[in-house]
Amino acid sequence: MNPAEEIKQLFPDSVVSVGQQIKKPLAIIKKEGLLEVAQKVKEMGFDNLSVITGIDYGDRFEVVYNFFSYVKKQNLVLKVVLGHENPEVASLASIWKVADWLERETYDLVGIKFRGHPNLKRILLPEGWMGHPLRKDYDMNVDQFVTIGEDGEDIVSTDGSNLLRR
Amino acid sequence: MKTDELLINMGPVHPSTHGVLRFKLTMDGEIIRNCEIVMGYLHRGTEKLGEMKTYMQFVPYTDRLDYISAFPNNYAYVKAVEELAGIEVPLRAEYIRVLTLELNRIVNHLVMIGSLLLDLGASTMIMYGFRERENALALFDMLCGARMTFNYIKPGGVREDMPEGFIPKLNEFINDMDMRIDDYEQLVSGNEIFMGRMKNIGVMSAQDAINYGMTGPSLRGHGVNYDIRKMEPYSVYPDLDFKACMRRECDSFARYMVRIDEMRESLHILKQVVDQMPQGKAETHAKYGIAPMTGAPTAVSTYFPRIFTPPPGEVYSRIEAPKGELGFYIVSDGTIKPYRIKIRSPSFCNLTAIPKMVEGLMIPDLIAAFGTIDVVLGDVDR
Amino acid sequence: MDPLTIDTTKIKITRRQPVTAIDKLNDTGLISTLLAAREREGLILFSTIDQVFNWARLSSLWPVTSGLACCAIEMMATSMAHHDISRFGMEIFRASPRQADLMFVAGTVTKRMAPRVKKLYEMMPDPKWVISVGSCANTGGPYHESYSVLKGVDLILPVDVYIPGCPPRPEAWLYGIIQLREKIKNRGYGAKWGLNK
Repeated sequence: MNPAEEIKQLFPDSVVSVGQQIKKPLAIIKKEGLLEVAQKVKEMGFDNLSVITGIDYGDRFEVVYNFFSYVKKQNLVLKVVLGHENPEVASLASIWKVADWLERETYDLVGIKFRGHPNLKRILLPEGWMGHPLRKDYDMNVDQFVTIGEDGEDIVSTDGSNLLRR
Repeated sequence: MKTDELLINMGPVHPSTHGVLRFKLTMDGEIIRNCEIVMGYLHRGTEKLGEMKTYMQFVPYTDRLDYISAFPNNYAYVKAVEELAGIEVPLRAEYIRVLTLELNRIVNHLVMIGSLLLDLGASTMIMYGFRERENALALFDMLCGARMTFNYIKPGGVREDMPEGFIPKLNEFINDMDMRIDDYEQLVSGNEIFMGRMKNIGVMSAQDAINYGMTGPSLRGHGVNYDIRKMEPYSVYPDLDFKACMRRECDSFARYMVRIDEMRESLHILKQVVDQMPQGKAETHAKYGIAPMTGAPTAVSTYFPRIFTPPPGEVYSRIEAPKGELGFYIVSDGTIKPYRIKIRSPSFCNLTAIPKMVEGLMIPDLIAAFGTIDVVLGDVDR
Repeated sequence: MDPLTIDTTKIKITRRQPVTAIDKLNDTGLISTLLAAREREGLILFSTIDQVFNWARLSSLWPVTSGLACCAIEMMATSMAHHDISRFGMEIFRASPRQADLMFVAGTVTKRMAPRVKKLYEMMPDPKWVISVGSCANTGGPYHESYSVLKGVDLILPVDVYIPGCPPRPEAWLYGIIQLREKIKNRGYGAKWGLNK
């Protein structure tokens, strides 16, 4: 049986709908029930979390998780829909260790917060960067520059006069 | 008497060839207690640029992700676009693609072994590796005009067919390479110093490795036989006969030996591809889309439009890149530009295992273990 | 296996050999030495010492390893056996900038890396030169519209030679290095040591 339909049978109130994403079974989950569903998915044998994607539609955020099982050779896609103000979802870093950095990257670039993450900091951009670049309302005309501060840490500002020559 | 812990910074500019990566090591004497990795010194914003370009215009950006092996990056993106849009590819184009993928796998492993040994202090192997790499790059030059950033695999096929005289030169390369791999094994693999520096260093159990998201040859050195070419076959791999190379001891030496085995398997695959190459066209007719761009018809635009709109939807597709599992997650909203492209890069996910792997080792062991994970910073930072 | 057969008898040398006597005199560099001497009001003796120092400096420039991205791989390929960079005396890439006099900025300079590259430049002792390699270091390259890429390394460093390409072929690297050598040959750096005082 389809892994998405199994999950729908086990957690009927957490699953919003079940479908297909180009031949992969897809299940849309409510964000409150994500952690239990994830535990069950891990027990079902999906031990490879491939990718966590954060997508900014204008009125909502979506977080998509793609799983693969080595033993059963099956795919599974979970999707969580979040509101546009203060998007926040439970972190899966305690179950799959790779989710640690994937969630940090999603926070860095899209701005989705993960509850329960051990170390939610920016990973690809320096600490003080303003804004989340992959949101649709990010202003690309503002140039931010980085200089090195007192103890070797990055300082971000829009004024690059002590770095630039002209 | 009390000892303090020392914070040592292996800064972004360090004389190994892996790129700009920063380690913050907390040391107790010589032993590493904690390793924190700081990255992002090469973050170029490829994913944001993907939203500003059309599907065909994004292909050169994928070249620059993992710049040592650029064909698999091209192919992973193009495979995702083809799955999303339902494009059929002619058989000859698929065979040419597999030829370039496997040739690039050999090049990648040569560079990896060369730079691993350069970090350990031996400078002969990188000279040999780059000598072979020049031969392979001459083949690529003949095929698509560029040495490193190819921009050759496009949605619908390849950009142009193989030139005359390519197959005889490829056969020469294959025969040459067969002898050279034996040379490398004799030079490196039996060397006592090398074995002493690599055996039992960087040990991690297979369960941990899977949980930390390691994939590719690094994972196959831990005894887990996960090769996407066998698990979810794509392209013409079901028709080719090869085996996924695996070793069981979970240390750096096993991860290194997997790559030597893989080079031999790639040569085996290349011989089969050359035998089985079909005749025919390498480009395809489009099944849908906006009419081709106006202007004089060239080899590309006569058959396939440069601007096309796939149907709205999402797709995640993965391939077995030389470094691991490379995947592209593409969201399309029915316009000529993608809505969101997310790149799942193997180096980023393999790197998550390093802080766990190096606890309790010394700094030279960190360098040896890190070299076998095969990290390229273009892939980590995108 | 010979990857690329180039028939060197069919290559025409693009630089004209000096024909007239004035051309030959100009080619030795003596005229530019005398003009430089007149500019700085120095003695002819010290301007000849300039020539000697220039020759010594250009013959073995030691680069510092600051390869950032894809162009760094072409830097490695140029320094390997096939396209040999050690014909210019540059085969040792010094790890420490205090021992180097040339910096190849090879690869994309991001905003986060820019102060480190500038610090690396400031750590090099005089006289020093910078070659900006590849289109990303020249002007930002294919990533010009990105939010986190510096649009050219010449916004933070003075650059002597620009080598275009993405990545430039090793033959283009060698041509850029030859241009730098011509530039060093025609300048007088002895004045900086105060020898004309």
